[in-house]
Amino acid sequence: MAARGLLGENERVRIAPRLFVWVFALAAVAVISAGLLLDQIAAAKDVSGSGTVWLYPFLFGAVSAPAAVGVLIVTRRSRNLIGWVLVLGSLSLAPVLAATPYAWVALKAHPESLPGGSWAALLSSLWPAFFAWPLAVAFVFPDGRLPSPRWRPYAFFAAGSFALLALALVTATRLEHPFSDVPNPFPLRLPDSFGFLRPVAWLAMFASLFVGAAAVRSRYKRSAGINRLQMLWLSYAALLIPLGVVCFLLWGLLFGEPGDAVAAFLLGMEAAVALAVGVAVMRYRLYEIDRLINRTLVYTLLTASLGLLYGVVSVAAGVVVGRGSAWATALGAVVGALAFGPLRTRAQALVDWRFARPRFDGLRRVRAFVDEVRDGRREPEEIGGVLAAALRDPGAELLFRLPASDTYADSAGRVVAEPPDSEGALTPLEHRGQEIGLLRHRRDLLDRPDLLHSVLEAASLAIEIARLRVEVRLQLVEVDESRARIVQAGYEERRRLERDLHDGAQQRLVTLGIVLRRLQRSLPREARVLGPALDSAVAEIGHAIADLRTIASGMRPPRLDDGLAAALADLTREAPVPIDVEATAERLSPHVEAAAYFVACEAITNAVKHASPSRIRVKATLADGGLRLLVADDGVGGANPAAGTGLVGLTDRVAAQGGTLLIESPLGAGTRIEAAFPCG
Amino acid sequence: MRIVIAEDTVLLREGLAGLLEDAGHEVVARVGDGEALLAVVSEHEPDLAVVDVRMPPDYEDEGMRAAATIRQSNPGTAVLVLSQHIETRHALELVAAGGGFGYLLKDRVLDVDDFLDAARRVTEGGSALDPEVVATLLSPKRRDDTLGELTPREQEVLALMAEGRTNAAIAKRLWLTERTVETHVRSILGKLGLPISGDDHRRVLAVLTYLRASTV
Repeated sequence: MAARGLLGENERVRIAPRLFVWVFALAAVAVISAGLLLDQIAAAKDVSGSGTVWLYPFLFGAVSAPAAVGVLIVTRRSRNLIGWVLVLGSLSLAPVLAATPYAWVALKAHPESLPGGSWAALLSSLWPAFFAWPLAVAFVFPDGRLPSPRWRPYAFFAAGSFALLALALVTATRLEHPFSDVPNPFPLRLPDSFGFLRPVAWLAMFASLFVGAAAVRSRYKRSAGINRLQMLWLSYAALLIPLGVVCFLLWGLLFGEPGDAVAAFLLGMEAAVALAVGVAVMRYRLYEIDRLINRTLVYTLLTASLGLLYGVVSVAAGVVVGRGSAWATALGAVVGALAFGPLRTRAQALVDWRFARPRFDGLRRVRAFVDEVRDGRREPEEIGGVLAAALRDPGAELLFRLPASDTYADSAGRVVAEPPDSEGALTPLEHRGQEIGLLRHRRDLLDRPDLLHSVLEAASLAIEIARLRVEVRLQLVEVDESRARIVQAGYEERRRLERDLHDGAQQRLVTLGIVLRRLQRSLPREARVLGPALDSAVAEIGHAIADLRTIASGMRPPRLDDGLAAALADLTREAPVPIDVEATAERLSPHVEAAAYFVACEAITNAVKHASPSRIRVKATLADGGLRLLVADDGVGGANPAAGTGLVGLTDRVAAQGGTLLIESPLGAGTRIEAAFPCG
Repeated sequence: MRIVIAEDTVLLREGLAGLLEDAGHEVVARVGDGEALLAVVSEHEPDLAVVDVRMPPDYEDEGMRAAATIRQSNPGTAVLVLSQHIETRHALELVAAGGGFGYLLKDRVLDVDDFLDAARRVTEGGSALDPEVVATLLSPKRRDDTLGELTPREQEVLALMAEGRTNAAIAKRLWLTERTVETHVRSILGKLGLPISGDDHRRVLAVLTYLRASTV
């Protein structure tokens, strides 16, 4: 892989190349520095065009930036040709830029002080050299070779176009501005019939710029991973040049001649391309370059269209209210301000659609989904599938974070203790600084941070809603389960107490009674007088046992062991009101039987206490795979579940078994309590 | 009588054994769970097994199940089951399945004579049913029309009959002559439409079967 040579670590840099590159770079910087000095000398003599001091940093930067970056690349990545292209490019540009002040000094400020003034003027006319090294970079970036052998003719064409242009420029009869009055010292002149050469050379040169752009594009399309990020950095810097040209053309159309500003901009871009190449080679992951490009495109487009709109409106209004009127300008400004928002959206959509299709499609999909969720047409939990589709990664999986338990859950609410890190990459999702989940996705999506992050950002609200819903659902399940556990623990506790009373205290009392009885029966005849006392003691023990039995039975009637029907039938024995019991003889789970029994008990107690009924009907039937319990009385009615704790307790008991409770209690028409328990 | 006792509480077991031995019976084995009971019953073939309902390992109804097994495998051994509380269903099934079975609340033991009488009765092929169980059968809230036709005195007699007592025992209980009791019994059986039989045990079974049928 060529890229490996480019990035390889611990490359031994031979001394000679390092020395040469430093010499070349310093030479370039020295030449441009000398040029700036000469400009000051020319300016002292008020030579027209000289002394534009604010342009100095641009001139210096355009030469020193590629020189510095080149040195850096050559010393760190010696096998990469790019460094040399930059250094040599800088070295070729410096004399061309310095030639103008040199000619000013030699020809105008201090005539005859310096030799070869007209040659310098000729050299300065070779300013298209400006485009030479960026074009070379476009062809060979990032590995120092052409994208493929197929590109060789194009590379020759580009080189040829520059040579042709140079030929056309040096053989011209008149030199370029600002030396149009200087005679061309070059001895060779082309015949007049070759007049077409000059425009053709210019066209060829511009065409070769497009070819260079095509080379970058071709390589970008084939690139992946690191290469892709590197190509993006280069594209970004290269993109600024045509965009700048477009903006300044507009500027010129609207406000007049841009002059030095264009020069400053192009010089700045030269430095920018060099810096971008440096970043691309050394620190390709520095920024989210996709987003930077995207924003630049959007705002350029926005600026251009706003400017156009402003111009058209002011001119059109000027026709009506008179040219130069403040009203026309104001109207243009208002229209521009109004159009800003919609235009920005349109520009973003257009740029996304054209240059970031996956992102555009992904965002559209996610936003449509969010809208559908808002309208209640889809469930937020489907966001996982939507993300997979939006990112074009069918295997993508969304996990919601559950902060309470520090675990993750999938959209079905299954808890995943450890986020699986098997294949693919994990990207944490955040909402307002809190981690709300994890997305497991294909590793290569990491090379598309713009796509990944903007899609996730657009989905973040839906993800948060889904997460909250999953969390609430899980918590409700947990609450249901814990309530069932608590109620069942209550039943267990009742059973345990009942056992303890029966098998502990009651047994002891019986034993004690037997001991007394045996004592009584073994008394000698003369002690029989103790008989009645022992009788009453044993009778007392019998009462204590009966009491204990009643208490234990209230804890949990042992008859429940014989089934719900037996236990309900027993209820009728002690009730002060006639109770009709009709109960299924089927055996159910002990918990359901206990719950149904206690619900019936409490309902009957409530009825007897508050409703003064003359009859109570209890019916327990199996229906739809569950148990239906009905307790109905003919009392005064008007029972309100909100008022007392009795009916609320019933609701809790039924709900703990996953059942439902229905209470109908119209005033004066009795009370019907109907509980449904699921069985199974 | 040769008796085995199955009861897991040692003190109570020894008390019971002492009570029975005081009355002149021979306690041939004392065990603490259902399996051991079955073993000693087949080994000693006793006249009577006094069995606690709840025993190890699960403290559910081991005694009752062992009782049912013994009635099947050793018809010569009568079973008297003692319980801490009423468990009607199994008790009724076993009593109604034939004689030689009794079911009493444990504290009935304290009424020693009654207890010994019940033990004797079941050993002789009769039955003994706890008054509490009988009360559930005769519960006023589930009484049907036929039972309502009985006089209060007849109802008392019916309850004692259902407990498995003989005419003589009933007469003694109610301070009546045996003849009067016999008249009441005849009247009750007539009202319930049951055949009149001279055999006390048969009569009890018929009454129990009737009561079970009319309550379930």
